[in-house]
Amino acid sequence: MPNKLSVLMLSWEYPPRVIGGISPHIYFLSKHLAQQDVKVYVVTCDFPGAPAHEVVDGVEVYRVDSYKNPSPDFATWVYLMNMNMQKETAVLMKQIGNKVDVIHAHDWLVANAGIGLKHVFRKPLLVTMHSTEMGRRDGLHTTAEKMIHETEAWLTYEAWKVICCSDYMISHVRYVFGLPSDKLVMVPNGVNIHCYDSNEDMAKFRSRFALPEEKIVLFVGRLVYEKGIHVLINAVPKILSKVNAKFIIVGSGYMKEQLLNIVRSMGLEHKVLFEGFLDEATLLKLQMSADVSVVPSLFEPFGIVALEAMAARSPVVASDTGGLSEIVEHDVTGVKVYPNNPDSLAWGITKVLQDEAYAKSLRENAYRRVQEKYDWAKIAQDTKRIYEGVLGEYSKSFWA
Amino acid sequence: MLRTIVFSWEYPPRVVGQLSGYVKELATQLALSKVDVNVVTYDDSATGQTSEPSGVKAIRVANPVKTHIGVLTWVLTLNQEVERVAANVYYDSNRKIDLIDVFDWHFIPAAVTLKNGLGIPFIYSVESLEDHRSPTANSSYNMAIKSIEWLGFYEAERACVKSQWMKEEITRIYNVPAEKVAVIPANSDSWIQDMLQLYSSIAEAKKNAK
Repeated sequence: MPNKLSVLMLSWEYPPRVIGGISPHIYFLSKHLAQQDVKVYVVTCDFPGAPAHEVVDGVEVYRVDSYKNPSPDFATWVYLMNMNMQKETAVLMKQIGNKVDVIHAHDWLVANAGIGLKHVFRKPLLVTMHSTEMGRRDGLHTTAEKMIHETEAWLTYEAWKVICCSDYMISHVRYVFGLPSDKLVMVPNGVNIHCYDSNEDMAKFRSRFALPEEKIVLFVGRLVYEKGIHVLINAVPKILSKVNAKFIIVGSGYMKEQLLNIVRSMGLEHKVLFEGFLDEATLLKLQMSADVSVVPSLFEPFGIVALEAMAARSPVVASDTGGLSEIVEHDVTGVKVYPNNPDSLAWGITKVLQDEAYAKSLRENAYRRVQEKYDWAKIAQDTKRIYEGVLGEYSKSFWA
Repeated sequence: MLRTIVFSWEYPPRVVGQLSGYVKELATQLALSKVDVNVVTYDDSATGQTSEPSGVKAIRVANPVKTHIGVLTWVLTLNQEVERVAANVYYDSNRKIDLIDVFDWHFIPAAVTLKNGLGIPFIYSVESLEDHRSPTANSSYNMAIKSIEWLGFYEAERACVKSQWMKEEITRIYNVPAEKVAVIPANSDSWIQDMLQLYSSIAEAKKNAK
């Protein structure tokens, strides 16, 4: 290609707008693509105080009017937001003389915009499916869930390639949408190890959360069923019968009240702290201070929290499911336990907390694994190669 | 030769209200007046392109998403299919489409994207307004439809209505400048001449803008 490869990245979130894992994903992927000489235009939803256009680490970021009138419900808002995103991206495309080679959409939240722009400008569309409605809800139970599922199916149908972040998600997406396997590509999620480089005195920081004789057991995630936080809460008394520990729960969600009640009824409020959302600096330090990081998910497309813990050199205990099964190698980079089983989870956590030599080897192996396999520069390189492959095929089509 | 695309969510054999018959008559008369007419409309089973004896080409699209929680989500996913076939008409005719005539709010989002992305101007032809269809209703659902109507008036080259009364309603409700609204009654003797003139004026303006 004579000209610089150029990608239009569509995402409903980009920092400072952070709702879930897509936001940091887009940030790091775009930044590292830019470092590899790819011109990246990120189009995303607006956020109070964030400029409509700025250049962040070599990436052109455009924030569009995300439809701020009241909406009947979340799903309807998504489609209305897409109407605006499409309109403003069309204006942008004209401004830059259509100099975009591929459109890369992330999840159904930008399906309509991605599909519409693909046809209007006749550019190849790629999609990363970070999750699926069927997985999130463990089935399709309502009209809204079916509608979102069909929108996802439509998006994967329209896409030239569908990227998933784990082998587990590849097989899940292939099964759920009936896709041909040559349409699917696996590119793992990445983690930024450098945000865990800190020389601060952790003993002092640690004392904010736990007594010196208490081990810290950390959970980070939404307090929802699929994250399996209830399994950890049920395991707490079993662990405390063997080890003195403090359980720190970071995140929020619809199960919070229910979980608080269980903890209260067990009389363990002094041992289980619900911290809600924490600022990033505190969270990073907490991950570095944790004697064990627990990921008890029941459904997990990838499991970025496990990877973050590995980068923070905190030993990981994770349920053997979804993407977690691939990230954690049992007895080498972490401990895998049976999903939805408090006894198994208690066993895994106790083992790590009682055997310091074992914990140390897990930390070291896990950190090395993160450096080798989940480095953003490598992930951006793989992604660029996929773009080039698609462009090669596209150049032989009548759209080119 | 004028090349046009007409967007309407109803077109025979699909008849919801009186818009269907009107669009059919307009398309036929335009085609007989040597205008290249491509009607893009919705039909959930009879999809694809047909040619009518008058020369009108009708392209019917289905909704790619079958399950919906309301008219809004239904309309907003259908718009991408409308864009897809309209873009196909555009590229197949050597990128020479003079204008799009959009009937009511349903396919305004597609028209707006095509205008901004490909530079095809559009007319917003008003059969009815949300304010009249759901008087006094101000739920977020109605407001969303009204916001799409507003977007249509804002982005359109011209609005076209069938009565002086509707023109006044549009200027009252949406503050559309009066000179932007053309009144062409469907029962007047000069109806098709007036429509042709409106179409030509927009095509001319587009040429001159280049």
